[in-house]
Amino acid sequence: MTYFPEEVVERIFDFLATHRDRNAVSTVCKTWYRVERLSRRSVFVGNCYAVRPERVVARYPRLRSLTVKGKPHFADFNLVPHDWGGFALPWIEAAARGCPGLEELRLKRMIVFDESLELLARSFPNFKVLVLISCEGFSTDGLAAIATYCRVLRELDLQENEMEDRGPQWLSCFPDSCTSLVSLNFACLKGEVNAVSLERLVARCPNLRTLRLNRAVSVDTLSKILARAPHLVDLGTGSFTIDHRAEAYHKLINNFIKCKSLRSLSGFWDATPRCLPAVYPICGNLTGLNLSYAPAIQGADLIKLIRQCSKLQRLWVLDCIGDKGLAVVANTCKELQELRVFPSDVYGEGIAAVTEEGLVAVSSGCPKLISLLYFCHQMTNAALITVAKNCPQFTRFRLCILDPGKPDPVTNQPLDEGFGAIVQSCKDLRRLSLSGHLTDQVFLYIGMYAERLEMLSIAFAGDSDKGMVYVLNGCKNLRKLEIRDSPFGDAALLEDVGKYETMRSLWMSSCDVTLGGCKTLAAKMPRLNVEVINEMDESDELEENPSDLHRVEKMYVYRTVAGPRNDAPDFVWTL
Amino acid sequence: MELELGLALPNNHLMKGLDLNDGSTTNSYRKRGFEEAFEEVIPKATLPLFVHKNGGDGDDENDSPQLKNSPELNSISGNRALVGWPPVKHPRRRSAGGGAEERWSEHCGSNSDDGGGGRRAKCVKVKMEGVAIGRKVDLSLHDSYEELFHTLNQMFPNMQHGFAHHPHHHRRRFMVTYEDGEGDWLLVGDMPWEDFIRSVKRLKILS
Repeated sequence: MTYFPEEVVERIFDFLATHRDRNAVSTVCKTWYRVERLSRRSVFVGNCYAVRPERVVARYPRLRSLTVKGKPHFADFNLVPHDWGGFALPWIEAAARGCPGLEELRLKRMIVFDESLELLARSFPNFKVLVLISCEGFSTDGLAAIATYCRVLRELDLQENEMEDRGPQWLSCFPDSCTSLVSLNFACLKGEVNAVSLERLVARCPNLRTLRLNRAVSVDTLSKILARAPHLVDLGTGSFTIDHRAEAYHKLINNFIKCKSLRSLSGFWDATPRCLPAVYPICGNLTGLNLSYAPAIQGADLIKLIRQCSKLQRLWVLDCIGDKGLAVVANTCKELQELRVFPSDVYGEGIAAVTEEGLVAVSSGCPKLISLLYFCHQMTNAALITVAKNCPQFTRFRLCILDPGKPDPVTNQPLDEGFGAIVQSCKDLRRLSLSGHLTDQVFLYIGMYAERLEMLSIAFAGDSDKGMVYVLNGCKNLRKLEIRDSPFGDAALLEDVGKYETMRSLWMSSCDVTLGGCKTLAAKMPRLNVEVINEMDESDELEENPSDLHRVEKMYVYRTVAGPRNDAPDFVWTL
Repeated sequence: MELELGLALPNNHLMKGLDLNDGSTTNSYRKRGFEEAFEEVIPKATLPLFVHKNGGDGDDENDSPQLKNSPELNSISGNRALVGWPPVKHPRRRSAGGGAEERWSEHCGSNSDDGGGGRRAKCVKVKMEGVAIGRKVDLSLHDSYEELFHTLNQMFPNMQHGFAHHPHHHRRRFMVTYEDGEGDWLLVGDMPWEDFIRSVKRLKILS
């Protein structure tokens, strides 16, 4: 194949859609490596510490799109200290030096400072897309810089970030000449925005298709925006409180009716049921609906709304939908692919909102269901077995029984058989989260059947090291394993140290791994970073040399070609 | 003697038969009695109780016992103080409806600011003399000194006689002291609970 001119090889590579394929062809021979790296437009870095930014930029000078992820997933649940790491600045600096043609940057769980955003805004004349998910460390000042200097900005997408609000001015920083916006999402912003600036911005961006407002935006403003932008496809309403008798309400309904292209709705903060009829006109077209921030919409009102959404593919709700509501979903939403049911009442002291019944109903009524996140108060093996039979096509299955370690309430048995049925039936399962009372048996099943599994989350499960070993030995495609509060120790950790080089990362917290075990792992595998996280401060009388028998509270292991990182805070020891 | 402790509040690696209140012997996935009233977490596999090589009292730092798992019972706060559970992202917690917002527990180590609603956690460090690693206790989950001492009893279970909030309790072997806002070290229990909560910065247990 080396007698093909390089231009032809490059054209052939254009057809390779996935990162994996492109990575694979780059290893064939030197020519292909060179062709591939010079034509590579998009790079995905799953762990920002697995490789140095300079290396990425040096290898792919023509990069247009870069995605980087920082903190481990359990950081979402406050298990990782905020200053653990994951800084965006080195990446932005390296890209500024080496890839001036960068157009898109997507960051997840990273620390992004305003200075970093400013550097970003000034360094890339063609910058088009900025997506920040679950990041922190920046404020509206950083956004102002983006708005001011990114002349051809198309997308500014802020999802669930912890950002400081320094005032509404940032939105006014979009110059009058900015007409290129296609997607703007500032739903996670806490403070006010200037309504007039917002309306003007929307009015001058004819290509705007996604707009997600934050809670501070009034319904009045929303109404005006809809009037200006009836071509919206994805809308996040602001606070949805209106007096349903007022004229403003009728205006809103009329404006919604004009939005023939609307396919996805979210927001609905503070929404009350009486306001819902405003969206009835467009429900029939909706493919996506997120009501998970609207606890006031329950019972009959919720059901009435859902009955009109027959084309839904993606539904996010609170568990106050109840099993009854889920039965309605099962009857109505035959196109449903993704369902997420979030908890509204955590401690189960109120009404048991959703149980196994709701899940079984949906599994039998929605033949296209492939992705599930389900918080419930109880689950039975029988239900899981039924779900597994009904939906063998699950790719993502995340079940969270709110009471940790709770068994099947009917039989008092662990849920091993239920989850076993899921992994056995769902051959394409890529992501699985377990909960409830589970013994080593479930891990035996997972190791045996979950061949395509890439990510596994374990909490309060298992009896012994054998459990973890079953998983490590069995799941060939495992990339991320995260475990908390489970009795797995050094024997399991060290059973197959080579395995971790085939994975992106391993997280273990509140398990039985000791410092000695971590040191052994680090010594055997130089291309892994073994991080031990110890949150103490100097006022504690910390032992100089804690014993190797000490249990390690938090451990994060990941493969890397970058060596130990140099930005780790004091409480993170890379062994 | 070294305790193997972590910042997470006692997890559910509980030993069967540890709790004398537990009357049942087989297939008991849930503890009964006292714990049940507080919806405690289910006990897990049988891991050995901590085994002292030299069988010393609590003051030996030169020991290296085979302490596999601290036999900690769940504190009175139970599930409410379980860190990072349920696994829901922070922004969602603040918007959760009804009483959930009040009952969410902030992670003790987290720096994040819990905006408007919701109870603030008050986590203070607790250090026991002679023990290498300190713990953290969320005072906002306690309403009285009794509850606090109960939690401390469970955090440092090798203390034979525990703590008592009885100034004349002669068998009391340990004193709980605290550092107040001005840097002074005072005895816990002398002032009303509410005042104590406001001024306490950290705790130290002396023998």
